[in-house]
Amino acid sequence: MALRTPSGPPGPPRRRSASGTRLWTWLMLPGTLWMTGFLIASLILVATLALGTTDPLGNPRFGLNFDNITALADPAYRIVLLRSLVFALIACAVCLVVAYPVAYAIALHGGRFKHLLIAAIVVPFFANYLVRMYGWSVVLSDDGPVLKVLRAVGLADGHTRILQSGVGVIAGLVYGFIVFMIIPLYAALERMDLSLIEAGRDLYGGPLRTFFFVTLPATRQGAAAGAVLVFLPAMGDFVSAQLMGGPDQIMIGNLIQDKFFQGQNWPLGSALTMLMMAVLFVGMLGYLRRTRKDEAEAAR
Amino acid sequence: MTLRPLHRRHRRGTDRRPRLALAVTAVFFVLLYLPIGVVVLFSFNAQKSLTVFKGLSLRWYTAFFHDNVLIESLGMSLRISLVAMAGSVLLGVALALGLVRCRTRLGSLAGLIMLVPLITPEIVTGVAAMLLFKGMGITLSSGTVMLAEITFSISYVTVILRSRIAALNPEVEEAAMDLGATRWQALRLVTLPALLPSILASAVLVFALVFDDFVLAYFTTGVDPQPLSVRIYSAIRFGVQPTINAVGTLMLAGSIGLIALALAIPRLFGRRGGLDLLSGK
Repeated sequence: MALRTPSGPPGPPRRRSASGTRLWTWLMLPGTLWMTGFLIASLILVATLALGTTDPLGNPRFGLNFDNITALADPAYRIVLLRSLVFALIACAVCLVVAYPVAYAIALHGGRFKHLLIAAIVVPFFANYLVRMYGWSVVLSDDGPVLKVLRAVGLADGHTRILQSGVGVIAGLVYGFIVFMIIPLYAALERMDLSLIEAGRDLYGGPLRTFFFVTLPATRQGAAAGAVLVFLPAMGDFVSAQLMGGPDQIMIGNLIQDKFFQGQNWPLGSALTMLMMAVLFVGMLGYLRRTRKDEAEAAR
Repeated sequence: MTLRPLHRRHRRGTDRRPRLALAVTAVFFVLLYLPIGVVVLFSFNAQKSLTVFKGLSLRWYTAFFHDNVLIESLGMSLRISLVAMAGSVLLGVALALGLVRCRTRLGSLAGLIMLVPLITPEIVTGVAAMLLFKGMGITLSSGTVMLAEITFSISYVTVILRSRIAALNPEVEEAAMDLGATRWQALRLVTLPALLPSILASAVLVFALVFDDFVLAYFTTGVDPQPLSVRIYSAIRFGVQPTINAVGTLMLAGSIGLIALALAIPRLFGRRGGLDLLSGK
């Protein structure tokens, strides 16, 4: 969504005047100061508290020690972090595999219902996240409709469960965030020059070959943007693991929540938050390098 | 591979229906609406069961409207959404105007800061906001939820408005100034009226997003009437009462109505492409 247009399209050259620049700066100032004061300051606070300690009563104390950072090396935390990464990445992959045909069918074969169909996908996703997730957990429950259908066609037996398992948590993440994959893919497919597909056909490429050698590469940027947009909230999610998973499926978001609410160890919670941010930062860097490479190739 | 006669390529680009893609799309739509359908259906269930439907009844809606705690929470959520909407639209529209027009170094820095909430998971912003309030010695309350929600929503308003402002023809504003308007008058009498549909749409969108928001509210709420979504969270964690189905249905109806309204506003003003709003372009 906003990720790909960091500074807006360059407009036509404008008359500049000192009075204009002054007015625009004044307009910009309140919002920027507000966000700096609340958001940037608070993020710095989290980073600082990650180096703090707690007193015997559990109150946070600022300081400069690395106990929390070294505590993160504990295998217990490493397993949770690794699990979160794996869950989020699998959720990304499932979103891509499901969202691509959906976006493709709507963008290229939706006809005049195109806008209506996309709206029918987007609108429910802005409905309350918790209510949707709760409904999803009922649908996936042991005597819910999904397992009933799977049992009827012989893909599941009486003991198969979706809830209380990793599959359940991933299903939750996919249901929660798949819209973020569909929108950029749909935009990319709609923007795509359809004569490329015709050219592929004219050169005697079958439908599959045309898809893999023409359509897919042309929409790679949309897929990459979607992957980032799904990965970010999926890594930070804690509701899915709570509703769909069991004690063996907790994610890093659940750990953070626990340290701030039940465990009352805010410095350690801050350190975990920073760890999550670091992982996401690496992911973002990878995405940015990828798109820059693509742009360089496109410019050549 | 067979040679296809040229005259069969009558449809734009593709000439056969991708059956697999259509099948996946059909299943996707069923699974997308099934959970919502389940919540709505069981909100009208005459029995307490969440799996067996035994006749229509409005008893869970009656139960909701007689539950003072939930009604207080509903009122609180509405108040929070209104305040966050007003605050973030005011700050966000001004910020968007400045960002598009101001090509200084400060402008690009402000543009970067504005993007931070969009690339940070909500749990991080939630934790950070809570630490900030506690660090400043502020007791968590509905007021702190409002402050946090404003901060988060400014970005949405700015992203939506920025693309609209960039799409405006700057010459209209300049013509107004050539005709004697001051820059401020040109902004107030020419630019802002042209932006009105987008401003209204972003306001509705922010209202809905804040009303539904759970993570930020969860970390910054106090014990005075908690926002409705925080109540729902506690309810679905510790055994569901069917009342939650009724609350959920009402919230679904409310936010779906609001989002549909936000999408429709640009069209009501005679402009195409209501979906631009959601893709931020």
